[in-house]
Amino acid sequence: MSRRLLLLGLALCCLAPASAEPRIELGASPAWKGWTRPGRATEIDIRLKSDVETRASLDVAAGRESIGADVELQPGRVARLQVTVGPAPASGVSVRVIRGPSARRDVTLAQSESPLLGVALASGELVTLEGFHAIALAADDLPRNESAYSSIDALIIDAPTLAALDQRQLGALVAYTADCGRLVVLNAGAEVRRLLDGARGCGTAALTNALSLPEAKTMLSASLATSTPPSLSLGSASTLARPSHAAWNAVAVGLALYFAAAAVALVYLPALPVLLLSPALTIAAIVALLQGMQPPSQLIVWSEGRSGAPLARYQAWQRFPGVVRERVRVPLPPQLGAAVQPCEAAQAVRFEVDASGGRALYAEFETRLFRQVALCYRGTFPMERSIDVEARADGSHAVRNSGARAWPSGMLLAKGLVHELPAIVPGAAAVIAADARRPAGDAAVRLASTRTGFDETAALWALDLSGVAGAPVDSTGWLLVSAAPKR
Amino acid sequence: MNEPLARRFAAMSGLGLAAAVAVWWLGSARLAIDHGADAARSSAEALQIAWLVRALLVSMVGVRIGAMRGSRDGAAASIAVVAPSWPVVAMAWSASAAPLTQTILAESFLVIEALVLPLVGHGLRRVLPRSEVAEPIASALGVALAAALWLIRDRWAFPSGG
Repeated sequence: MSRRLLLLGLALCCLAPASAEPRIELGASPAWKGWTRPGRATEIDIRLKSDVETRASLDVAAGRESIGADVELQPGRVARLQVTVGPAPASGVSVRVIRGPSARRDVTLAQSESPLLGVALASGELVTLEGFHAIALAADDLPRNESAYSSIDALIIDAPTLAALDQRQLGALVAYTADCGRLVVLNAGAEVRRLLDGARGCGTAALTNALSLPEAKTMLSASLATSTPPSLSLGSASTLARPSHAAWNAVAVGLALYFAAAAVALVYLPALPVLLLSPALTIAAIVALLQGMQPPSQLIVWSEGRSGAPLARYQAWQRFPGVVRERVRVPLPPQLGAAVQPCEAAQAVRFEVDASGGRALYAEFETRLFRQVALCYRGTFPMERSIDVEARADGSHAVRNSGARAWPSGMLLAKGLVHELPAIVPGAAAVIAADARRPAGDAAVRLASTRTGFDETAALWALDLSGVAGAPVDSTGWLLVSAAPKR
Repeated sequence: MNEPLARRFAAMSGLGLAAAVAVWWLGSARLAIDHGADAARSSAEALQIAWLVRALLVSMVGVRIGAMRGSRDGAAASIAVVAPSWPVVAMAWSASAAPLTQTILAESFLVIEALVLPLVGHGLRRVLPRSEVAEPIASALGVALAAALWLIRDRWAFPSGG
């Protein structure tokens, strides 16, 4: 009897771990019903479900970019994670549980050569527009990450679909309008219209409201006939960067000292051990010097907005200078980690993502001496700058702070000329004399000039990045606010 | 030319070659840094140039000095040509995408060449009945070896990117 009980106990003991092995269900669906444009980022919505509480390791591979996240799974609950993936025709999503099963799904993306028109109507109707490839979308097909909006070129959305969007989808849509994305809203309520109108980055050129589908089509055609400011290209902020010469200087000085010492040694002590020892010592000394220096990364933020708009869009560029051949893991500024990608598509990078918020926490990549790996961020931030500019006949400009917050001193760009702009408190005004010009020699001023139309007036300020957590010491930021001048 | 002078001359040649490669490599790396480009390509080229020139020099110097002054002196002079470039090679490898094994193999080949060719030159002198013809034959053999190395130089090409 006791032997039978012992055998039963042993059987239960051995069976218990086998029955505790979790069963994992993995689902992966791309945004925009899997459509994107060549070279553009998109989003993959990942769903994970387990029958027991466990920790799963998620891995998404898209081209030379990979994304990893640790996900806590609760029994019977679906964990969702939306990750932005770079331009790659196919992605692989795999999940692995420690000492448990693994699962894999392949996600294939359709890359359209024609511009893409997203049509998100509750009725499921499809609008056709000449030259565009139209995609019928449901609310869940719209992405949660703003950078995934780069996949489409225009969007028509109706009120029921808008109402079905969650907070993150709505946030991404607002950021898309702030980034001058072409959007026609059909029968939107007053509250939604106010929200989108407040965020629009390009006046009425890109965001329009329509009452019927034919009107939406006409409005979209009219919107497409007008030009909007060109989007900031990936890495355009890099033009403001200064090259980092710290590693080069160290190597040059190290080699110069070696050649000098070796020449002296050859004159006075031309022995073979000296000939062999001096190169070895030099290599050790230079490697130790390089390992010890680890030059800091450099962050540059370029942001733009329209006077009075609540949001400014930004493009940030962070460079990590390499000193030796190694694989590095660098922390990313949490406020910028929502939309990050390598600035060069050929650069292999692995991002570690926080599964709860979808933000990238760390980036991992191979580096080497003199290599400058750059990561690009983009997004929006709240802005309170409202500027009224009146161009006078004598060439001077009357500038008034019509917002609620004071400005620091900056620069005023008008008719291709650059003027000093003093700090102005709310409600106050200043007259900028026609002869108060300054040369546009600065790289930031040159970039601002290229981003400002000749008939436009804009103000350029240096951004205070002290509030950006995790920003490197060497951080610079600029905010360009454009305002049409009154005459 | 006495033995220390020959070694000193070889070492000065090696050092001069290393300095020339270093100046070229540092200059091109600086240009790459200033233009936001990758210095891996010029670093791979520096590795290739440093290896090829030393291989050609050792081929010509090693056999000849081995025949003239013996294998020990020949090896010392050849090593004096090879070794001064090692700091430049190490730094260029660190900035390149070249595999470590390929770089170590290339340097090992040079060291083996520096040790073996003087032995060949020395053997030539002992084998030949007339010692005065050993020197021109050793020189001709060195030139032939250098020409052969030049012809197969692409097989040692270092990968330029990645």
